[in-house]
Amino acid sequence: MPGSRDVLVEVTVNGTPHSAEVPARTLLVHFLRDRLRLTGTHVGCDTTQCGACTVALDGVAVKSCTVLAAQASGHEITTIEGAAQGGGPAALDPVQRAFWQEHGLQCGYCTPGMVMAVRQILADNPDPTEADVRAGLAGNICRCTGYQNIVAAALDAARRLRGA
Amino acid sequence: MFPADFCYVRAGSLAQALELLAEGAAAGEDVKLLAGGQSLLPMMKLRLAAPQTLVDIGGIAELAGVTADGAGTTIGALTTYRALQRDQRVALAFPALADALAVLADQQVRARGTIGGCVAHGDPAADLPAVLLALDARLEIASPRGTRNLTLDAFLQGVFTTDLAADEVVTAIILPAAPPGAVGSAYEKFEQPASHLPLAGVCAVVVIDGEVITSARVAVTGVAGRAFRTLDTERSLASARPADTVIAAAASQVATGVRPLSDQHASGPFRLHLAEVLARRALTRAIQRAVAGEPRPTLGTPCGHGPDDSKKGPAS
Repeated sequence: MPGSRDVLVEVTVNGTPHSAEVPARTLLVHFLRDRLRLTGTHVGCDTTQCGACTVALDGVAVKSCTVLAAQASGHEITTIEGAAQGGGPAALDPVQRAFWQEHGLQCGYCTPGMVMAVRQILADNPDPTEADVRAGLAGNICRCTGYQNIVAAALDAARRLRGA
Repeated sequence: MFPADFCYVRAGSLAQALELLAEGAAAGEDVKLLAGGQSLLPMMKLRLAAPQTLVDIGGIAELAGVTADGAGTTIGALTTYRALQRDQRVALAFPALADALAVLADQQVRARGTIGGCVAHGDPAADLPAVLLALDARLEIASPRGTRNLTLDAFLQGVFTTDLAADEVVTAIILPAAPPGAVGSAYEKFEQPASHLPLAGVCAVVVIDGEVITSARVAVTGVAGRAFRTLDTERSLASARPADTVIAAAASQVATGVRPLSDQHASGPFRLHLAEVLARRALTRAIQRAVAGEPRPTLGTPCGHGPDDSKKGPAS
């Protein structure tokens, strides 16, 4: 039957089109990290639980360890590298800025995924309660912070984005 | 971690997917359909599954979306949990479904996982089968022989085992219109914190006329090899007046005669205990909703006030 062990993957990542032929079993996270050298997206648990690999696929947060690169072909990806608009603190995305100011990280391993997840929470609900943020982060695990400052950062980013 | 090698092919339509499945079956190949991949890909990464070929049906637009008419609500098999969660009609008509969608996996998994993938997977610990059984769901299934339609109850057989043949595709889930009377529904779960899968989950749908429960449908997931309806509980509620003692007596029969699953996450007796407690909670909330005539769920992430997903772009 038709089907191949190698597939052509054509994706736009952070606004730049890329194409490469890779084994069909290549996961999106490995495609981003190993092919495109976008190593801001992390692999944590590798079992769809920790959220360190979160990226936006067509503008919606997904876990890139649980998406085949082949499934993403023809779609647009935003990774943590695409969040800031340029270099330096002034260019940070409001969510990144809030994590910085509220000290929403310690080791930083989970942070790219946390930032991408919080961007989704705020896109869906610009005025979340603390409970909404905690429920929204059900798929992201942090082993350092105890989540307090991550939640504070999300609420701070929400306030800034609403201009309040 | 990555899956064992496989061949990948994208199906652009249902007809093409059926052709590919038939071709694979004729060649004796182990072919699996890939929808959202949120259950299948983790299993493949752990090498619990190693299909020779994946037919990616994720992009078949004709199999996604919700349509509602007087007879009921038809949910395309490829409708994602996220799309369902953001559909106000679903939240209004089926509060128990909204309850389950709010606590099912996490926002990233809900963005890709599909309702059809969930039922076809046959995971005994999935949330939705309890809700769909209690809502009397039927499945529409396509094959080269045509279309068939059967109840979810007849479809589910055991642990990761369903009535789906190798050349068949689940195309839709059909929820019948609510019966006359004041209807209330609710879903309650106790989750395993890492996987978010229910150690036990109970869905209750009650119809109240005047001050009497005219019918109740109660279903349980996570406790046995497949989600099941609990007929003893349902019978004990019929024609009863809703009261705490009635609810407690009904809940105590929620898993009568059931041989519970037992694993490293929870023992059998603990699962049975959870099922009874959750049945009490689900019945209480379903009855409250029926009496209040207020179908909006009180829990859950807000629906429908984010940007349209079709408009791409970063969150801020």
